[in-house]
Amino acid sequence: MASVSELYDVGWEEMRDKLRKWREDNSRNSEQIVDVGEELISDHASKLGDDVWIIYEQVMIAALDCSRDDLALTCLQELRKQFPDSHRVKRLTGMRLEALERYDEANKHYDAILEDDPTNTAARKRKISILKAQGKNGEAIRELNEYLEQFVGDQEAWHELSELYINEHDYGKAAFCLEELMMTNPHNHLYCEQYAEVKYTQGGLENLELSRKYFSQALRLNNRNMRALFGLYMSASHIAASPKVSAKVKKDNIKYAAWAANQINRAYKVSHKPRPSDTGTHIATVKESANTNCCILGRGRPSTNVGFSIADADM
Amino acid sequence: MADPELLLDSSIRVWVVLPIVFITFFVGVLRHYVTQLLHSDKKVALEQVSDSQVLLRSRVLRENGKFLPRQSFNMRKHYFNNAEAGFFKKVKRKVVPKNPMTDPSMVMDMMKGNLTNVLPMILVGGWINWVFSGFVITKVPFPLTLRFKPMLQRGIELLSLDASWVSSASWYFLNVFGLRSMYGLILGQDNAADQSRVMQDQMSGAAMAMPPDPNKAFKSEWEALEVVNHKWALENVEEDLMSRDLNFESSS
Repeated sequence: MASVSELYDVGWEEMRDKLRKWREDNSRNSEQIVDVGEELISDHASKLGDDVWIIYEQVMIAALDCSRDDLALTCLQELRKQFPDSHRVKRLTGMRLEALERYDEANKHYDAILEDDPTNTAARKRKISILKAQGKNGEAIRELNEYLEQFVGDQEAWHELSELYINEHDYGKAAFCLEELMMTNPHNHLYCEQYAEVKYTQGGLENLELSRKYFSQALRLNNRNMRALFGLYMSASHIAASPKVSAKVKKDNIKYAAWAANQINRAYKVSHKPRPSDTGTHIATVKESANTNCCILGRGRPSTNVGFSIADADM
Repeated sequence: MADPELLLDSSIRVWVVLPIVFITFFVGVLRHYVTQLLHSDKKVALEQVSDSQVLLRSRVLRENGKFLPRQSFNMRKHYFNNAEAGFFKKVKRKVVPKNPMTDPSMVMDMMKGNLTNVLPMILVGGWINWVFSGFVITKVPFPLTLRFKPMLQRGIELLSLDASWVSSASWYFLNVFGLRSMYGLILGQDNAADQSRVMQDQMSGAAMAMPPDPNKAFKSEWEALEVVNHKWALENVEEDLMSRDLNFESSS
């Protein structure tokens, strides 16, 4: 197997910088990290100086993701030798035990950390993820609620809780969690859109109206969010189709739905710019694109995969 | 007529002015490293962390509550401010006033602060004064009154000498404050050699991460939240959005 540096013709400094960039972006491309990181530590460890420890940590977590137990164990041993009493290293030990499914031992490790330092958030979150891995969703939700009572500001935790509630189909509570996120990040269009989707799934006229509003807000924050555009179209048309609404509301919503449909068509056209001289193929491409149902998605989705369907909600 | 200009021996420049600069600088760097060695981690109590986050949440609610639906905003406001069961009304933290004399951690901190900052300053200042005594070093560019003479001209008993001429001790103090920016360049921001910042810290000491009286903080947050009204930012979002076509061009 050719090494990374040969394949891409990069030196060790570029590899180190790439790893730092991935660390800062929090990207989870574990296979790439393992490839680059493994070579970096085996061939260039001495040149890295003090950076080597954080790279060990990064590579170890990536190795756990890729099931590379051997690599994870090497990294962990190096870190343990250097930082024998560190809580951070203890947490990594616990994570390795989790990866090997030795959950009881991992729990013991985390409890030891928490006894020593009750404010350690990382250990608590690992314990909750153990519960999630074991499938004990109810308990995980309970523990996470307790955690959030203490640490109200932890946004990662709010997002995780909203995902757990969605899995349990408790959409009201999921909406509450997403509201917390929207409050702290008012300019993040993805939270608005996710909130709107949850409201849409809850159903009921009021929720549909709210969802339409928040889809529009998501669009206003990011014009390229196709999911929000579709959501706007669906929610507006559902409200318009409902028998209980007044005529004015019906008219307004028909207008919104028509506008949304218009924008969707425009989006398809924009995505397949026809060659200027060839109008015949232009029509064919538009038809083809409408059939293949390709979407110009906005920015990448957040890590949760909200798997409910935007099907006909109850009215 | 202007006072006669004194002509100073140029060896004063080489052997006094520059050495004082170097001495001050290196003592400062030394202080920085000694402080780092003696530095002890502050342990934060769980309750403090939790309280500070709650206050942050309440503040965020005040600022960004307009993005939430009216009902959600009211629900949260109610949670905080309700007359009987609201968080800010119900939760009273036990406040243990930290007596600076008896609280061991604070005594240690004060001692360490004194040791690393005040003591070297006095010692080095005194030593410089003793070694480089009996002559003037430099002239400050602005005129000073006679009142400054005993302060700035230690060891030189000349009644007629203009007060602008200063001795080595004052040059030393000038350096202590002047080299702050040099420390910033070389040691990075937030370094322990920065004495004036330490003095500022001592004055504003109590206003650290969490005010020692959370009850007061709760009360002020309660008042602030009471007056906030919910004006929904999404009232006319559809009209705003549909006033023009969407922009599908890639923006980043």
